[in-house]
Amino acid sequence: MFTGAEKNMYTIGRVVKRFGIARSTLLYYDSIGLLKPSGRSSAGYRLYSEKDVKRLALIMTYRDAGLGLTEIMDVLDSGNDTSVSILEKQLRDLNRDISNLRRQQQQIVRLLKNMGALKKTRAMNKDMWVSILRASGMSDDDMKRWHREFERMAPEAHQDFMESLGIPEREIGAIRTWAAKNSEQSKSK
Amino acid sequence: MASHNMTKEKWIELFSEIGLTEEQMHTWHRAFEKRYPDEHQAFLEWLNIPADDISMIRTESSS
Repeated sequence: MFTGAEKNMYTIGRVVKRFGIARSTLLYYDSIGLLKPSGRSSAGYRLYSEKDVKRLALIMTYRDAGLGLTEIMDVLDSGNDTSVSILEKQLRDLNRDISNLRRQQQQIVRLLKNMGALKKTRAMNKDMWVSILRASGMSDDDMKRWHREFERMAPEAHQDFMESLGIPEREIGAIRTWAAKNSEQSKSK
Repeated sequence: MASHNMTKEKWIELFSEIGLTEEQMHTWHRAFEKRYPDEHQAFLEWLNIPADDISMIRTESSS
């Protein structure tokens, strides 16, 4: 069916080369309706339009962000609100995974410590952190103020940072609640 | 994608806010570098500081 239009179309081989993905991947995307080539050559070969190629570029981006194929389809074929909520969910999932990995990292540190063979982990703990703050002349009060300001300026980073120090969840919660309460008081004064 | 939006600038602001002087911040970097060099590197990476800047900061901290 395609005659002159074929010039502006990409064969499956060109798409494979350009994106560095497997031919079978494209065939699979076609079969599940994620990416259907807009045309066929006179010999019946799949032909991808510029628009198809752009859609594939988006698919790859979302795949890099860890979205599943069903979610990618939802993001591509629905409005902005749905996309935002899918991406937000993905971000939450990632944050949860990071927390879990951190817990595992800290657990391994503890295990190695118990075995008397602590290797270089690059993981700080609370004592190490406090020791360098003290070395730079910070008092306990300064550290309290630091928590308050940290919570006020960047609550997520505050949480993330304390997790990286391996502080237990409950303690983090208590520190943040305290920090939030006290920073409001100091502001309202 | 970082899970937080902390940056070097915000971190400095945070330290200034609680009254740390520039000299104290330098002392802090020096103590960090001297006691826990690998963790210092990891922390600077956490702030999303580019690799070149990190090595500069670390060189300055070890002087």
